[in-house]
Amino acid sequence: MSASTQALRHLPAPARRSRLRPSVREALWGFGFVGIWIFGLLVFTAGPMIASLVLSFTDFNMVRPEAVTFVGIDNYVRMLGDPSISASLIATVKFAVITIPVTMVASLGFAVLLNQPSLPAKGPLRALVYMPMMIPLVASTLVWMGFLNTDTGWLNGILRALGLAGPDWINSDVWVYPALSIMGLWGIGNFMLINIAGLQSVPTELYDAAKIDGAGRWQSFRRVTIPMISPVLLYNLVIVLIGTFQYFTQAYTMTNGKGDPNNATLFMNLVLYREGFVFNHMGYAAAIAWLLFVIVLILTLVLFWFSRSRVYYAGGDR
Amino acid sequence: MLLNRPSLTRLAALAASAAILVTACGGSTATQSPSAAAAAAAAATPTAAAATAAATPSPTPLITAAPISNDQPGPNGGVVVRWFVGLGTGGQPQQIATQQQVVNDFNNSQKDVYISLEIQDNKVAGNILKTEIAAGNAPDIIGPVGVEGLNLFIDQLADLQPLIQSQNFNMTKFDPSLANFFKMGKGGATIGVPFAVYPSFIWYNKALFDEAKLPYPPTKVGDLYQGKPWDMDAVRALGMKLTVDKNGNDATSANFDPNNIVQWGFDMQWADNSPLAESSLFGASSFLAPDGKTAQVADSVKTGETWFDNGVWKDHFIPNQNQINSDLLAKGNEFQSGNLAMDETHTWYACCVNPAPPAKPIVKSFGWAIAPSYNGKITAKLHADTFAMLKSSKHPDAAFKALAYLAQSGALLTAYGAYPADPSLVQGYKDGVDKQYPDSKLDWSVPQQMLGYVDIPNHQSWVPDYAKAKAAWQAFGTGYRTSASFDVSAELDKLKATLQGIFDAAPDKNP
Repeated sequence: MSASTQALRHLPAPARRSRLRPSVREALWGFGFVGIWIFGLLVFTAGPMIASLVLSFTDFNMVRPEAVTFVGIDNYVRMLGDPSISASLIATVKFAVITIPVTMVASLGFAVLLNQPSLPAKGPLRALVYMPMMIPLVASTLVWMGFLNTDTGWLNGILRALGLAGPDWINSDVWVYPALSIMGLWGIGNFMLINIAGLQSVPTELYDAAKIDGAGRWQSFRRVTIPMISPVLLYNLVIVLIGTFQYFTQAYTMTNGKGDPNNATLFMNLVLYREGFVFNHMGYAAAIAWLLFVIVLILTLVLFWFSRSRVYYAGGDR
Repeated sequence: MLLNRPSLTRLAALAASAAILVTACGGSTATQSPSAAAAAAAAATPTAAAATAAATPSPTPLITAAPISNDQPGPNGGVVVRWFVGLGTGGQPQQIATQQQVVNDFNNSQKDVYISLEIQDNKVAGNILKTEIAAGNAPDIIGPVGVEGLNLFIDQLADLQPLIQSQNFNMTKFDPSLANFFKMGKGGATIGVPFAVYPSFIWYNKALFDEAKLPYPPTKVGDLYQGKPWDMDAVRALGMKLTVDKNGNDATSANFDPNNIVQWGFDMQWADNSPLAESSLFGASSFLAPDGKTAQVADSVKTGETWFDNGVWKDHFIPNQNQINSDLLAKGNEFQSGNLAMDETHTWYACCVNPAPPAKPIVKSFGWAIAPSYNGKITAKLHADTFAMLKSSKHPDAAFKALAYLAQSGALLTAYGAYPADPSLVQGYKDGVDKQYPDSKLDWSVPQQMLGYVDIPNHQSWVPDYAKAKAAWQAFGTGYRTSASFDVSAELDKLKATLQGIFDAAPDKNP
């Protein structure tokens, strides 16, 4: 045993430690650990949020910083008459109406399919469905654009071979939403995995009981599976909803940020980005960001309110 | 040495906290966040030669060393002047080396001024410059930058005229129209000096003409084509003959299949979906009336855009947007694909006729022809690059001295592949392009002639809230290329109303 170790052993316990109650000490340790996170939240999230709120009441322009003035609620009033805002809301709603059901149904469908006990090679198949998630969004969008090209794309080539005239997927303000939703299928891997986890947590005795009661597979799915995984479905729905309102990369890559065709892909985030970073209207862009925040917050609250009577929590906790 | 368990935990926690903090706060790397990269990618390409930069693959978002503060003397004892590169060309590896050498030569040649070079990737440069301006940390000199780049930063640009006079910068060596070209700042301020010009004309694929047994278009102003004037009607007729479907029928044939076109007759490639650029062949115009506040759509725009719309959807000799994006037209580099017979574009396109190695050139031999006339008048739109000074410069005299040096650098012109505004430097540029395309035997009288027919007002000239106005007219440009049922006349009326709204709300009224 070294002298230093001996010295350490003979050191009296720190007086301060002995004065603190264990619960306080534990709390201090907790705060110590989350302190870094709180610091990051305040500096990198709350700070910019407050700054953007302040900016939303100014006409701050990045190339005319010296001319910034306080404009009150002008930016918010301006949004009421801005055709790009109404166009973006319409575009977002149209897209949401198609893509949210498609994403929810497809991710649940794949989860059910890839959770079948009799299915061989479940692991590799799940990996295959998940793998497109690993591809950068810009790259996958470019691939899809080639696939969906009206004249030279594979999809229309297949349709032509079947004697069908393929639509103008990218340049039609009607077909662009189904096109984007099809592209979105490459992003269902996460939701599928969450659904699989939910499916695997459903007690098998419930299915046995349902079977004894004469329930078929569809009834078991509808009356047992869906209620039991409803918290998972709610979680996925909230995430898909938020993602839909924050939709940006694919639309930006497809149209170089222009919102073509005919403003059909001018989603709210694209409007925000263009106003702030292309047109330099940073104050106005900040106001749009807050509008987007409020819309998503309201929709999420509505969703949670609606879910009170639709979502079943086995443990009783919500 | 032994440590008890709480001490170990504490140490581990400290180490982890420190690591998180360092990771969170570390900002010295040049890595761009996805949002910043995406933001920058959308920034307008504000320079004529930016097309060169955009078309040639750039290996990394390159950044030079952080600029030296201009509050203290530079290493040579001179006043530090920051030169910001990236709004246009200047980001390719070979260009970086040349720029650095030019700067080194200057810094070693005297002790009054020290140029600190700051190169940003073209995709992010616009936003970085905006951020620097907003943060009060703007550079002294920006460039090379085109007219659009100047428009975007017009509020920040210094009037060079007093410095041109006080430092006896020789403007007489330039063509008078070029010498006055950059008097486009607020109140007619001179915001640049002539550096590089990019006249436009017809580029034609000789093989496609030979295959169709058609004579090449004229190379001299006033020459006829097949006994008729070389005008927009002639381009339409010729374009249809050079448009071919997969069965080999041209667009004048009754058996022509417009759904299976494999070769097109004409387009104005990389015109940025600008109606003003396209319709410049029918006469120059601006969307801003001379009063500086009223939106207008000139007759030449209506005529020109109707001509293009018919060319796409009725006569089929101009590709639509889907066809442009397809592999048949090299996903936008239409002339390079070898499936476009005639392309109206600028000298900067010398960058991109051949694909980047190791791909082999498809267009073996091409020629240059003069721009066609409309109603007997030729208009050949012009792009131009320059260097500009920001009015926030703390050392304007030193900055102009550096700017004048850069604007007269033959080495920079060569590195940028730019057609020199200074006639005494043109030969070096010609030699470089001829060496690049030895089989084409280019007629250099064509660009020289076209400099006499430039578009005034320039198709990129300033309008209030330029970026937003540009987005509006680009939406029009994309609209007719993507929809056969697009009503050009009605949509131009709508565009005029939209532009008026933008002009009225713009913070930067008449400069």
